[in-house]
Parts: sequence; structure tokens; C-alpha cells
Amino acid sequence: MKKLLFALVLLQPLVAAPEDSLVRINSTIQTYSASQPWEKTPPRSRRGLGTLLAGNRILTTAAMAADSIYIELQSADSTQTVPAKVTAIDYEANLALLTPDAGPGFLSELKATEIASPAKPNDEIELLQLETNGDPLSTTGKIRSMELLSTFVSGRYFLGYVVKASMQTSGNSFTLPAFRNDKLTGILTSYDSKDQICDVISIDIISAFLKDAEDGNYEGFPSLGIGTATTEDPHFRGWLKLPEDKGGLYVTRVLPKGSAAKAGMKKGDVILGVGGFAIDRRGYFEHPDYGKLFWPHLVRGGPIMGSKVAIEVLRDGNVQTIEATLEKSPAPLVPGYLYDEAPPFLIKGGLVFQELSKPYLEAFGKDWATRAPLNLLDVLSSPEDYEEGRRRVVVLTRVVATEATIGYDRLGSQIIKSVNGNAVKGLPELAKALETVPENGIHTIETDEEPYQIFLDEALSDRVDRDFVTRGLPTLKRLYEVE
Amino acid sequence: MMRTITRILLPVVLCTSLPGQLKEPQTTPDNQLAPQPTLYDSVVKIEVATQVPDYRTPWNSGRFSGGTGTGFIIGPNQILTNAHVVSDNRRLLVTRRGSSQKHVARVRHIAHDCDLALIELQDFRPFEGLPYLDIGGMPKLESRVSAIGYPVGGERLSVTQGVVSRIDFSSYSHSRADSHLVIQIDAAINPGNSGGPVVQDGKVVGVAFQGNTQADNVGYIIPTPVVKRFLKDISDGKYDHYMDLGISPFPLFNPAMRKAYQLPADGKGVLVANVVPGGPADGILERGDVLLSIDGNTIDSAGNIRIAGEFVDMNEIVERKFAGDKVSLTLIRKGEALKKDLILREFPYSRIYAIQYEEVPRYTFFAGLVFQPLNLNLFATFKFDDRRLRQIFADYVSRGLFKDMEDVVVLTRVENDRLTTRMGGFTGIAVSKVNGQKIKTLRQLHEILNAPNPPEYHVIEFNGGNRPLVIPSAEVPAAQKRIMAQVGITKAAQLD
Repeated sequence: MKKLLFALVLLQPLVAAPEDSLVRINSTIQTYSASQPWEKTPPRSRRGLGTLLAGNRILTTAAMAADSIYIELQSADSTQTVPAKVTAIDYEANLALLTPDAGPGFLSELKATEIASPAKPNDEIELLQLETNGDPLSTTGKIRSMELLSTFVSGRYFLGYVVKASMQTSGNSFTLPAFRNDKLTGILTSYDSKDQICDVISIDIISAFLKDAEDGNYEGFPSLGIGTATTEDPHFRGWLKLPEDKGGLYVTRVLPKGSAAKAGMKKGDVILGVGGFAIDRRGYFEHPDYGKLFWPHLVRGGPIMGSKVAIEVLRDGNVQTIEATLEKSPAPLVPGYLYDEAPPFLIKGGLVFQELSKPYLEAFGKDWATRAPLNLLDVLSSPEDYEEGRRRVVVLTRVVATEATIGYDRLGSQIIKSVNGNAVKGLPELAKALETVPENGIHTIETDEEPYQIFLDEALSDRVDRDFVTRGLPTLKRLYEVE
Repeated sequence: MMRTITRILLPVVLCTSLPGQLKEPQTTPDNQLAPQPTLYDSVVKIEVATQVPDYRTPWNSGRFSGGTGTGFIIGPNQILTNAHVVSDNRRLLVTRRGSSQKHVARVRHIAHDCDLALIELQDFRPFEGLPYLDIGGMPKLESRVSAIGYPVGGERLSVTQGVVSRIDFSSYSHSRADSHLVIQIDAAINPGNSGGPVVQDGKVVGVAFQGNTQADNVGYIIPTPVVKRFLKDISDGKYDHYMDLGISPFPLFNPAMRKAYQLPADGKGVLVANVVPGGPADGILERGDVLLSIDGNTIDSAGNIRIAGEFVDMNEIVERKFAGDKVSLTLIRKGEALKKDLILREFPYSRIYAIQYEEVPRYTFFAGLVFQPLNLNLFATFKFDDRRLRQIFADYVSRGLFKDMEDVVVLTRVENDRLTTRMGGFTGIAVSKVNGQKIKTLRQLHEILNAPNPPEYHVIEFNGGNRPLVIPSAEVPAAQKRIMAQVGITKAAQLD
């Protein structure tokens, strides 16, 4: 097997071979503890491959760079290293651009690869790995279909290739470049050895990412900011007065301040077409070259931020067209991910306040979706019921036993409504509200669960807080600026 | 088929050399004369045939099963036993010791919240002349008690002895929602003992009722204050259930909290953190009140009081009372001392958290859709995981959701049919509206769906649901007939 693959490698042209652009990437990843956000969890390392592009840029996946505290580029034979930094990263599209943090070092001996033109189903592609000794290991695969894939952040779909290939797994984790005609055509993110199927990020998405990053100010992919349901149910279609010859996606939710909301889209609208393409009852459209694709590609796959897209909707039985200006999705009430962000927190007298996020809930373990506190899970599934007056949901996540928290030990997972009568929009607002000490020296913290009001003695909590610092807590708060 | 009388309930038998009057008379096989009846003879075996409804197919007859337990005679045609021995029964048979004749009995009173029942014989005459067991007081810690009954392992009466190892406030697993006083003894317990007397010095000091699956040689008995309360409650011919204040207390340990409520640091007073809307304290107590005493007993900052030297939860006062009884409270509201009386009364909504027995499950079947009101039985059957439904269940009483939806109506099943082919994703969530009207009861939902002159489409909206479920009303009559025949449903609705 190995011999055969070697033979394949030898068949590659000798000039500007794809392997001349390969770089090993070793990244050290460290995240914050969800339950003790003032601390970091033990570091882990992740290994993958990157590809050198013109201008000393190295392309890899966001999975390789997210939450990294140190990234090192290594030559194929592992003899030389160069530290690197992230210049652009998109967690949803799972792409990152690195650049050497010092001199280019061994990178100057490599040859930058070019970007391939868009691939089509049935195209053959070459997947590259590196052997321990630095020799390239090439596998040929075939694009079985083009699909929207979610490769890193769950629930965010981008155009990718589903490739059939029989790969030998080498030491690298699955961030491997894919080439077509010796030009970069994608990045492999996962490989199922049983079915011999791999997911590959498409060059279409990579090109859009690189273009956006060109000016040094990466903006990201736009989003309509809606939730949808399919319309296969014939009775539902009848009730919606959807003609049989139409498809249609039912709008279940319109995020406030999102592109769709600004364009006047309403819950209950039925999307019949986007950008001139008809949308079928399951949300797919017919791409001229790629076949059936899921509709978000019409928003994320081509148009750039600020461009306009025409959306044909059925409302109250009438077809009308609305024009949406594509923008980044609005900041969610409950962030779905917090990569490279230190989670904000505030400790006051032993009460630990945090902003609710999906990673916080996920920290409840494998069964977090049922094991995490019910009231917090409800916020995640129905944020619209908690949006009023809030930017984020501030939660009293735990109570550290102190003199100031006597009797509060069994509290936790309480959603904070106000402090000293000031509504709490987010953690900075909570911190600010606590800065003004009421006349009697006691803060009143209002929650939405029993006992509904918690009281905290300013002088006592101050003393407790000083004690925290002397006993090794690096800081009592981590806040962010509010515009 | 032997029913292990309730999951973790293993009736107890304790043995000891019995004191005087309980001592087994010496009989020899050749003694032809009937001996003088003893208290042992007043302990009877109860055979029960049950029919337990299946909430998954509420139109079906349910499971037929059965088991055995123990009871004891406490008065003229009064046999005391556990509620779980006789729950959901279709036939009760009582057998005297040393006899194989079975006597038909029926339940006179049953209290699922304290796992006690009083049954009576169709004809008490064969039992006349047997002594009545006296209900005594509380046994002391470390004292010996004997449990008598008919556990598995043999046909005849069994006696076991143990020591009172703990007296505690603990949960009664029969209803899965109630806690009362419990005595723990160190005797092995076996199925079939349930409902048997536990005696000391010739008097009943408890009723054997449950075991512990995590510990060997541990048995639990219902102490006599609970038994006496049950007997007093039914003395008016009706069981009214345990009473509850309908408040959530919160300890007032925190100095800042005490200061905010203008209380001295004397360790007294407990906070009213919530008042159940519509409960007995609604309109009398307010959130933020600080309770200082209950019926003259000083309440400490953890909500405990001292009765007869015993340190107990203030709820113990309420535990001993009945519907219509008064509770006197002193409290501080916004710095002002107040005296308030409240009258205890039944609060049926809290039973949503207790397993229901003897009840025919309610449902309505509409064109392949099965709607059922939420309760613990339904929850235990379907193990719902929808977050919003679980939240509604949790908040039903404490946030007074029952005011707007007495029944939380859940779409529990969608039977497969050409009409319902795309409706499978809607099960396990709560209905919020039907045809634009907010749903408050199962009956209302049934009536809206079955109203004459229906709209072209029935539109069913769900709490936290993505989109409405719609049913073309013209197709309903045929579908209803067709699916009922397919699934084998003879009755389209059970609304009471």
C-alpha cells in the first residue's frame, strides 16, 4: 500500500508540486473553565496541515487556530519551526489564515500554491498528508456530491464536497489540503474510515474567505437571521395556500435586527425563491453546476456582506418580493460559541455572575441538553421570550461559600433581572449597578426564581473579595466594553 | 403472578419474642379445640387483583395483574392496610389466619398521600370475635418492635423483629410526591408484608410500608401520628388529603438579608420566598413576609420549630391539621409586625406531581391525534424531553400556570395514517391554541375540535412549537372512523 502511494507521489510533476506548499501546524489550545471562568483548563495540542499561499499566508481550518495560545509552523521534515499568528479566522466556515510571527524562516524555501477554480461533482481531487519523514502521502478521491456541511460550529452550513477516498491515516489530525490540477481546491476536515467518505471545505468558500480577508479586516459571511420549517405536509400547504407547483420554506422565527427583519420579513411568511432560484419544500434549490443545494448557500455561498438579495415570499396568499441587504447575523442573546473569547464574569462577595452561553451549558457534560438547569435550557431554546431589555442573559451561576453568602449555598442558575432597581442588560451593566452602594449598604439583586431577591452587604463582600485576591484568585472580574 | 407491591416498597416483618398478649398460644397438632383468638389472628392476608391503566394507550383496558399484602383489624369491619396494596384493584379477597376461605372485601377509604387505606368485608361475621389491634404511640429509638404479616417465602403468618433505628421526615414512594414522618427499623422486609402491623407491648406502633433498594435490612413503617391523622380525617366519611400552606420558605441565615428585612440577628424567622397563587396562603401572605411563629411556636431562621422537645419542620404543625382548620401566624411585613390566620383547604393542583390511582386516564382522539392532560403518570409513561413542556410542568403550581391552563394538554401520539403522514414531529409538546382559542382544559380542546361547522382547517398551535399543525376538517370524519378501526379504539374520548 505504502509503495503504491509512493509511486503516485513520484508521478507528480516536479515543478510547483502541491507538496512544496505544505506546512505542518502545531497549535496549543487552551480554553477557560466554564464553571470557574477565572481559570483556564489544561492546555491540549492539535496537529494539522496548512498550505502556503502567496504573501506568506498559510491557510488552515479554524479548528486548528481557535482558542490557540501558541501556533508553530513546522517544515515537512519537522526540522525547522516558525511561530505564527492568526490574521483572519471564521469559526462558522471553519477557516483560518496564519502568518509567521517572526521572519519567514523555512517558509521562504516553500512554493506558494495557487487557488483552483470551482470544482464540480465527479471531479477527482488529491488529498495530501505528510509522512513522519516529511515525504508527501497522496490519495486520490472523487467528489461524490456537493453539499452544505457543518464542519466545526454545529448548525452552520457551508458548501463542501463529499469525497469518496480510501485514505491511510497518518499522524496528522484531519486538517489536510486537497488539490486539483496541482492547485488548492479544498481542506479536508473529517474522514470516516468505515464508509471511506470525507468532508472537504469547498474552494468557493475558501475563495470568499480569502477575498474578505484581503483588506486585513475580516467581516465574515452574511446571514438572513431566520428560522425555517419545511412544507412537505400537504395539509399545511393547503392551509398556507401554497400552489402544488411551488416549493416553499415556512419562516418560524425572524431574529430581531437581522437582515431579514430589516427587510420586513415576518414569521409565517413562506419563502418561495432566493436570488432568482426557486426553493423547494425541503429548502433546496437547483444549482446549475452543483446540483441540489440547501438554500443558505444562496446567502453565504456567493454574495458578500452588504449585497442585496431578492426574496420571493408568500404572505397571506399573495406573492411578493422583498429585498434584503445581507449583513452578519445579529449578536445572539445566547452565544453559540465563544472561541478565543475569555468569558466575562464577576465575583462579588462569593456570588459568581456569568453571561449565559451555549458552551456554559455544554459544560454540564455529554447529556447537557437534559442535565443542564432547565430554566437556562429554556433560554437557549426560546431566546425570544427573554430578549426584552437584555443584550445577554446574566446568571448567578454559583455561590462560593463565604461569610457574605451564608444561607445562599443552595442557590445557583438564577437568572438576574435587576440590581438595586437597575435592569441588567448584560454583565457590564450588572457590574456598574453594583458600583453605586445603596444608603443602607446592602445591594438588592432581583432574580426570576425563588427567593426572587438576594441581598449582599457591600462592606462584607468587599472584605470577602479582598480575601479572594490574597488567596490566589487572579481577578474578581472580566468585563467588556459596552457601546 | 405476584406483584412486588410497589417498586421500592417491601413490607417489613420484625420478629421478637412477643410480649404477653401477643405470645403464640401453644397448640399441638392433636389439639382439636379451637384456641382462644390472639392478635395474630387479627392480621389478615389480602389478595388483590388489579387493573392498571396504560397511559400510552388510554383507550385500552390496561394491565391485569395482582399481588398480596397484609392488613389488620382495628375495629368492627375495619381493616387497615397500605394504599399501595389495594390501589387500582378490581377484586379484593381477605383470608383469615389458618383458613383458606377467601372473603370479598372493598376499599372504604384510601389515602395515596400517606399510603394508608381502610377496607371492609362484604360480610364481617366470620371475623367477629377477633381482637381489634390498638393504635399506640411513638416507639423510642433503639427499642424493639415486631412486624407481622404475610410476606413471600411461605403461606403462613410471619413475624420479624427489629430495632427502631431512626425517626425521620421522609418520602412516601407510593405517590412519589409526599413526605411525612417515617420510622426506620433494621429488619429485612419482603414483598407481601405491606400493610402489616408493627407492634410493641401489644400495641400497634406503625404500619410496614416500604423498604430501601440501596440498603439491606432496612425497613420503613408509617408511625401512628400519620395513622391517627388518617383515621381522624376519614371520620367524617371522606378523606380530604394532607394540607399544605402553599408557600416556599427560604432560610434567613444571611446577615445582609436579615438587615434588608429589618430583623435582629436573633436566628428567628423564615422568609416567604413564594406564595402559591390560588393556594391557601394566597392573599394572606406575601412574598417577602418573614414568618415568626406558627400556632404560637417560634420559627427559627431555617423554618424549624420545637414541639414537645423535638426539633421539627414548621410544616409538622400543618401535617397534623385538616381541611378547614385554622393556622395562626405572626410575621413581619416591611418592618411591621402582623398577625394572620389562614384556613387550610385542599389544593388539588399540586396533585399533578403525584401518581394518580383509581383514575381512568383522560384523553381525546381526533383524526389520529391523541391529546392527554399532563400529570405525573403521563410524564412517567412518555418521558417527555421537550424543554418547554418540562418547564411548564415545573412551574405549574409555583407560578400559578394552572390559572390559565388547568389542563396542560399534550399531543402524545400521532397514529400513522395517510392523513397524519407528516405530523410525527409534533408529539410531546403542549398545545397552546386550537383554531385561535387558548386551550385551558382537555374538554375545551375536545369541544373546539368537534364543534359543528368547523373551519376549513383546524389549526393547532404549540407552546414553543415551530409551526402550527393543520388538519383539513373535511377529511376528519372519514379519518376518525378509519383510524379508530385500525388502531382498535372504541371510544373517541374520555373527558372525565
